[in-house]
Amino acid sequence: MILPIIGLIVGLVIGLSFPISIPYEYAKYMSVALLASLDSVFGGLRAGLDDKFDNTVFITGFFTNALLAAGLVYVGDRLGIDLYYVAFLAFGLRVFQNLAIIRRHFLKK
Amino acid sequence: MPIRQGQIALALVCVVLGIMLAVQFRTTQDIRATIPFQRLEDLSQRLIQTEKERDALLNEVYELRKATGSEAAASREIQLTKMAAGVMALQGPGIIVTVDDSKRQTQPGDNPNLYLIHDEDILKIINELRAAGAEAISINAQRLIASSEIRCAGPTLSVNNTRYSPPYEIRAIGDPLTLENALRMRGGVVETLQFWGIEISLKKQDMLIIPAYRGSFRFDHAKPVQEEGKQQ
Repeated sequence: MILPIIGLIVGLVIGLSFPISIPYEYAKYMSVALLASLDSVFGGLRAGLDDKFDNTVFITGFFTNALLAAGLVYVGDRLGIDLYYVAFLAFGLRVFQNLAIIRRHFLKK
Repeated sequence: MPIRQGQIALALVCVVLGIMLAVQFRTTQDIRATIPFQRLEDLSQRLIQTEKERDALLNEVYELRKATGSEAAASREIQLTKMAAGVMALQGPGIIVTVDDSKRQTQPGDNPNLYLIHDEDILKIINELRAAGAEAISINAQRLIASSEIRCAGPTLSVNNTRYSPPYEIRAIGDPLTLENALRMRGGVVETLQFWGIEISLKKQDMLIIPAYRGSFRFDHAKPVQEEGKQQ
C-alpha cells in the first residue's frame, strides 16, 4: 500500500512542478479522463485486495478507460449529445462501489 | 496490507494519476483566476463603444471650433440652406397660375375624367416651372419642399398631406416672363390643358409671397453619413 501512495505523491509533485495547464475547452475532457483513471485505480486496488489483480488488464484498463471516456465525451459534444454527465454518473457510481468494497475488506480483518 | 500483486503497476498508474490530478487542479485554478470570457467580451465591447463616443465628441468639438471661427459665413450658409429647404417664407417677382376644372358640358360618350384636373397636370406645370428656373413654388399656400407629394386623393389633390379641391393656385418665384413663356410654349402644358377646356390663367406679379413649409421634418430611416471618406 505504501508504493501506490508514494507514486501518487511523486505524480502530484511532478504535476505541480511542471507548468502544464489544459486549455479551457479541454478541461471538460480532462476531468472525465481523470474520473475514469480514478475509477481504474480504485478498481485495481479492489482487485488487489481480492487477490484477482491482473497487471495487463489493469494497465490497459487504466489508459483505455481514460482515453475512451474523454473521446466519447468529445464525440458526444460534436454530435450534440451530452455524454459528459453520463460518463460522470457511470464512473462516479463505480468509484463509490469500489470504495465500499475496499472499506468492507478493511472492516473484515 | 493485503495487496501483494501489482504494487509496481499501481504505483506507476498512481504517478500518472497524480500528474493528471495536479494538472486538473491547476487548470481549475486558472479558470477561476481569469476573467470570465463573457465579461471580457462585454468589457471590450464597452471599451469600443466609449472610444467611439469619445471620437464623436472630439469631432464635434473640432466642428464647433471651426464654426465659431467663421460665424458670418456659417449663418449665411444656414440662411441659404433654409431658403432651399423651404422653411422660410420668400418674396419676389413671379407668376400665379390658377387652374380649375373644365366648365364645359361633357358630351354623352365622352370620358369626364378628361375634363378634370389630375395630379399629373399639376405635376407637369410644376415640372415646367422648375425647368424654367422657379426658385420657390407653392400650391394653395403649401410650400413645395423636397419631400412634398402631389397626388390624387379621390376628387381632391393632396399636397404635403393636406387636401385641396379645385381651383388650385400655384405660385412660383422666378423671372415672370421666363416662367410664363415656359408654360405658354406651343404644344406646352397650357395649350394641352386648354384643349380639354380646363381653365388655366397666368398672372405675372412684381411681388408675391410664398409661405414657409409649416410641417415638421421626420427622419426615421435616414441618418447623416458620419465620415467624409464613406460618402460613397
